[in-house]
Amino acid sequence: MYGIFMESLVIFKLYTGLKLLFALTLFAWIYLLITEKERRNRLMFVYAPLIIILLFLFPLSRKYFVAAGLDGETYYRVLWTIPMGIITIFGFCRLFERHRRIGLVVTAALIIFCGKYVYKSEYISKAENLYHIPDTVVKICDLIEPENPDTRASAVMPPELIHYVRQYSARINMPYGREMLVPQWKYDNAIYKAMEGTEVVDIDVLLKATRDEYCQYIVLAPGRQTEQEPEECGLVLVGEIDGYRIYEDPVSVKIVESWQEYYEDEE
Amino acid sequence: MILLKVFSLMIWLLVVPFCMGLLILPLLEKQQRTPGIALIGGYILQFALLELIGIPVVVYVTYNGFSTFLKIFIPALVLLALLGAALFWRRHSMENGWGFLKENQGSIYGFRKMGWEERIMLLLFLGLVAFQMYMAFTRASFDGDDAYYGVQAVVAQQVDTLYRINPYTGRSTPVDVRHALAMFPVWEAFLGSASGVHATIICHSVVPLVLIPLTYTIYYQIGQALLKKQDKHLTGSLTFLFMALIALWQIFGNVSLYTPETFFLTRTWQGKSFAGNFIIPAVIWIFLKLYEEEREKGLWVLLFCLNFAGGASSSLAVLLSCLMTVGFGLLFAVSKKRIGIFIKACLSCAGGGIYVLLYLLLTHGLLGV
Repeated sequence: MYGIFMESLVIFKLYTGLKLLFALTLFAWIYLLITEKERRNRLMFVYAPLIIILLFLFPLSRKYFVAAGLDGETYYRVLWTIPMGIITIFGFCRLFERHRRIGLVVTAALIIFCGKYVYKSEYISKAENLYHIPDTVVKICDLIEPENPDTRASAVMPPELIHYVRQYSARINMPYGREMLVPQWKYDNAIYKAMEGTEVVDIDVLLKATRDEYCQYIVLAPGRQTEQEPEECGLVLVGEIDGYRIYEDPVSVKIVESWQEYYEDEE
Repeated sequence: MILLKVFSLMIWLLVVPFCMGLLILPLLEKQQRTPGIALIGGYILQFALLELIGIPVVVYVTYNGFSTFLKIFIPALVLLALLGAALFWRRHSMENGWGFLKENQGSIYGFRKMGWEERIMLLLFLGLVAFQMYMAFTRASFDGDDAYYGVQAVVAQQVDTLYRINPYTGRSTPVDVRHALAMFPVWEAFLGSASGVHATIICHSVVPLVLIPLTYTIYYQIGQALLKKQDKHLTGSLTFLFMALIALWQIFGNVSLYTPETFFLTRTWQGKSFAGNFIIPAVIWIFLKLYEEEREKGLWVLLFCLNFAGGASSSLAVLLSCLMTVGFGLLFAVSKKRIGIFIKACLSCAGGGIYVLLYLLLTHGLLGV
């Protein structure tokens, strides 16, 4: 029980970042605790948050949360029910009720000083198109996407493209996807091992794995080294886009085409 | 062509939800009948409908699930929107309006009558919102979960199946029961198909432009409820001060990856962000109003729908909104010494309760699909 309590405490610390912005919320909460007279506001923004934090830290809460089939990693979202933004801003609005202009300047300065600018995140970049995925992915997908809307192409992609490919086209399958990039999920995939397991790709090993899965395309990242020349192993270079080399495997293509012909005849 | 798509999106994202929200207005008190509340109410109804129609389709329709869903969902939306518009028109001509679109306390319709302090605060707030929308449109925010949720929308649109394809690989799979009841990606696929726009563009470039202002519409209601004064100008000043600071708080609330503020501006299009930035604030707004007007039927109806609609964003959202409902209901009942509030709060969780029960049955394998 103590262990669960400590875990929940760590989740709480990670959630607030223990940054100064949390101190602002705490200050506003204390101010409301002392000065707020309206019963409704006290119930919702003074007492309820306290109850929620106590319940959040209470070990049995987390136990039941997981027992209910919910993902333990999302337990922090229980804290979303404490509206820290509303509590803080409401507290400061009350504090500066009679000096609103000063309140605006002081509170804004405090928020800017204590907070963290969301657009400074390493995950945010200038959008290259309306899809908000790299142009390179769009171009590669356009090249390998089958013309017939009822058919699929299967392609092995380098890790940096994996998240985006199927956001652009659900008609391009991949032998492995994001699940292989999250180590704690512990997935296993022979093609991934052949493609990413070694610094230099052994094309013979990779081809054996991709042919087992009837994968028609292999995309190699710029500068990716190979033990053998891909063309010598039977691959055909169908394009090079922003340094990415896109190879087609005629053997898999032929097999997949024969299936398609079979199904078309059946229809 | 582009203009036609933009027009179509405006119909589905603004006109239809707004008209649906008009259905709720007669159940609310006169001062609550504002365009903002119509839009919020419309979105709550829309997501409740999304769940009501979507869940049986996901569970029972294996092939062509998305087109089956559209065949029911689109006519239902149009029907409710037309009904709302007709009802509004009829009441408008009979009673000379509901006070709607006229002067509402502190609303932007009275801009000319505002004092300069109110105007500055309002313009500052609007500037911050415009900035957030600009950034949402021009900046790409990487999030690994898009490879799941974003792709579910693309799969629905391009492959015509719901939650029966592994989004990471494209292989067929049994229904992913852990996520299948959350229909938010299906809603985005619907918007894409109804307007002829790729689902990923809908997620990343279109939906944030609507959900960001929509969230602030709720905060505006909260601000008004919290800071209402006798003096109209004072209410306006304080409300817009609240709004400007809340908008700034969102921009600087990125103290960790887990805050609703971070989700709001970096993962706006994901259901979980909708849970933290629409469902939960909406519960707070409804309870702020319920404390004063506990007998108002419309608010209880909205709460009932909201507790079910939360399921569109995630199963956890339903659980959280229901827990908040029961918790606030209990606090209010004790405070006012009226057990009726608690009973009504529990009853308003009925839809959400059924959702949770279904979720438990599916995830524990007690109900096969």
